[in-house]
Amino acid sequence: MTLDTPLAIQVQGVTKSFLGQRALDDVDFEVARGEVHGLVGKNGAGKSTFMKILSGAQPPDSGQIIVGGTAFKALNPAEGRAAGIAIVYQNPELHLDLSVAANIFLGAEPRKGFGILDDKAMAARASELLARLGLNLPVNQRLGDLDIADRQQVAIAKAVREKAHVLLLDEPTAALNKAQAEFLFRLIRDLARQGMAVVYVSHHLDEVLAISDRITILRNGRKVAVVEGRSADKDGLISMIVGRTLDAVETHRSERPKSEPFLVMDAVSSPGGLDDVSLTVTKGEIVGVTGLIGGGANALAAVIGGLDHRHVAGSMSLGGQPYAPRAVREAIARGVLFIPEDMRGRGLVMSLSIAKNISLAALKSLSNLGWLKLAKETDVATEMSERLDLNPRAPGREVRFLSGGNQRKALLGRAIFADGQLFVLEEPTQGVDVESQRQIHDHLRGLAAKGATIVFVSTDLEELIALADRILVLRDGRIEQELSPDRLDPQQLLSAIQTQSTRSVN
Amino acid sequence: MSSPTATAGKPANRKLGGLQGRDLGRYTLLIVLLLIVVVTAIGNPRFLSVNNLMNILFQVSALGIVASGQTILLIAGGLDLSVGAALSVAGLATALTIMHTGSVALGILAGVVAGCVIGAINGMLVATNRATPFIITLGTMTFLQGVAILMSGGSPINGTGALFDVFGLGDFLGVPWPVYAMFASILVMFVVLRFTTLGRYAFAIGGNEEAARLSGIPVRRIKIALYALSGLFVGVAGVILTGVLDSGLPSMGTGYELRAIAAVVIGGTPLIGGRGTVIGTLGGVLLLGLVSNSMNLLGVGANFQSAVLGLIITAAVLLQKKA
Repeated sequence: MTLDTPLAIQVQGVTKSFLGQRALDDVDFEVARGEVHGLVGKNGAGKSTFMKILSGAQPPDSGQIIVGGTAFKALNPAEGRAAGIAIVYQNPELHLDLSVAANIFLGAEPRKGFGILDDKAMAARASELLARLGLNLPVNQRLGDLDIADRQQVAIAKAVREKAHVLLLDEPTAALNKAQAEFLFRLIRDLARQGMAVVYVSHHLDEVLAISDRITILRNGRKVAVVEGRSADKDGLISMIVGRTLDAVETHRSERPKSEPFLVMDAVSSPGGLDDVSLTVTKGEIVGVTGLIGGGANALAAVIGGLDHRHVAGSMSLGGQPYAPRAVREAIARGVLFIPEDMRGRGLVMSLSIAKNISLAALKSLSNLGWLKLAKETDVATEMSERLDLNPRAPGREVRFLSGGNQRKALLGRAIFADGQLFVLEEPTQGVDVESQRQIHDHLRGLAAKGATIVFVSTDLEELIALADRILVLRDGRIEQELSPDRLDPQQLLSAIQTQSTRSVN
Repeated sequence: MSSPTATAGKPANRKLGGLQGRDLGRYTLLIVLLLIVVVTAIGNPRFLSVNNLMNILFQVSALGIVASGQTILLIAGGLDLSVGAALSVAGLATALTIMHTGSVALGILAGVVAGCVIGAINGMLVATNRATPFIITLGTMTFLQGVAILMSGGSPINGTGALFDVFGLGDFLGVPWPVYAMFASILVMFVVLRFTTLGRYAFAIGGNEEAARLSGIPVRRIKIALYALSGLFVGVAGVILTGVLDSGLPSMGTGYELRAIAAVVIGGTPLIGGRGTVIGTLGGVLLLGLVSNSMNLLGVGANFQSAVLGLIITAAVLLQKKA
């Protein structure tokens, strides 16, 4: 990419902090017209925050964004759109009950006069636009009847109709199959040829390498480097993404005698994305599960936790007995407790107290013929708070007043109190401070030491290495690799996650 | 806005229901309406006479019973618009049974069972469909209005014998029986909400349905049980109102759904669920009674009263959005 082409967007010295945490630190960034620019980094490196600032969803603390010859201290979403910046998420924000054409022309519908819509003209112009982009979509079809890939194309067509000249794509291939992804890449290249600047954010390094003219690497909120896509290679990218880890990740694995198998999965496949997975986990073992988005790690957790139970093929056993939960509560009855990543949306009841959240999954043990033992509930919650060092020690306090770390502890407390034998966790320490993370890891190790089995899904490389007894890397719904965390460094782990992506890119 | 103060290391904070700053917003309307009542009382001393207050309690007793049931539905994030029409059907079931069998006991049973069954059906429809409770119960409300007219043949079913003697005429220690029934309903709902797993599940489902499901709560079954419970209250209200009127009327429950929901919302239970108290609902019921009584005393016409009720409901909902 030659840099004498005019810049489509330029970001200078953008900084953003949340609660004293630097999310972005003095980041410069630029994309030329007609350039595809990849943006990569670990979870928490600042990619999402950066995208939000580019799209105008959040203002930076300092720095400026220059687009269309105008410098902005901060963009709001309307200014961003007016300046020609469009963002397409992996699940595009469109109106499912409107037609393809109506979505593309939303807010700028052709009219006949007197406010009467001209549906024919709209359909014709939509067809013309789609044909120009090489897209073959039924313009009068209800959008909800189309698949994700088609919806994404509609979102991109809408951006083109809005005369966007900077297109932000956030994990665009996460929900696409190989053919759909390849089609998307062709579309991106065509758009770039016509002068569109494309910012491509993805964890799929193969894709980023194949499609990007240049790649910006973020780490811990800082820009580490900008490299030419043609000359970069994956190992180089990985080492820049992970950085020099001077300290080996601290591990606290204690020697535990390996005991009998507890969870056995035999050739399990699920519509949620598992493909012929066989796995044996023993009592007292901590298994970390990872992979790229859509690789199957979360699908595995959903099947074990009893969330995903329709049309699951293969068989499972738990403690030697057949295990085929048809609902979450059947899994809980067997001592399998699923703890979701999204604790506000799916985990905690924010309007209820700490005590009531901790007791929720095991109210039967705190009641007699439907009558609650309230005093005992308070005692249980106090005890659990002390055990997990959950602050404040006020069982009556509503959980919405707690910090993220304490909220995660309350969720863990619920699972422990429900007499969990097998804990299935998603991103167990996402969004919590370092001290809480250490404590939660200690509690999980403590549970394992007492014989509980732990399966956790994580994209945090250090967490996987620090906590897991072994790490499973899933890809396309299969266990692709099994790694021992001993002497594994984050770079090697990220390489394993990234290797031989079966989605070929040309 | 009060901020949580850390009480680490201290023993359990037993004050579970301490009034937080943000709660105050939810009770704004209650406070404003109380002021109106105080002003009316100063303008017309008869307003606060024992006789008049007893009259108000008698007037709102059926509403109080229906609103008690509605409270747990709103807490669970639900809603039942069909309670008014269901009240008519339950009342007519009572009146018709007494007319045909001469048995008051069977009449009471018929009314209560009718309310309970209707509630359970609503619950099943809500629990197994994606449509909102608002739309589903709007449908059953319209259906039940038709059923009520068919049952009555369009005219009142008069004569309830002993039921009238108790609920229409009878009192105990100077307090009419329907008033006892209302306070009993409030008490029952208070106990259910505070001391039973069913009540706790209602809070959990209203606060976060997915979290409830992931905690192993049988969400569908609980929803059906809650609507059936509310229906039971509606059935009781239908029986009592039939006794009070000494007849079953196809229109006897008209408007009860809105006033019941208004009472719950005025009482501080948010429409989105997850929190709320039946004591607040009692406050809402009493205030609606006081306001309409004060308008009666001031000689305000029925149409104007309806407009004022509408304003109160709208204000209650708008204030909630902010709180």
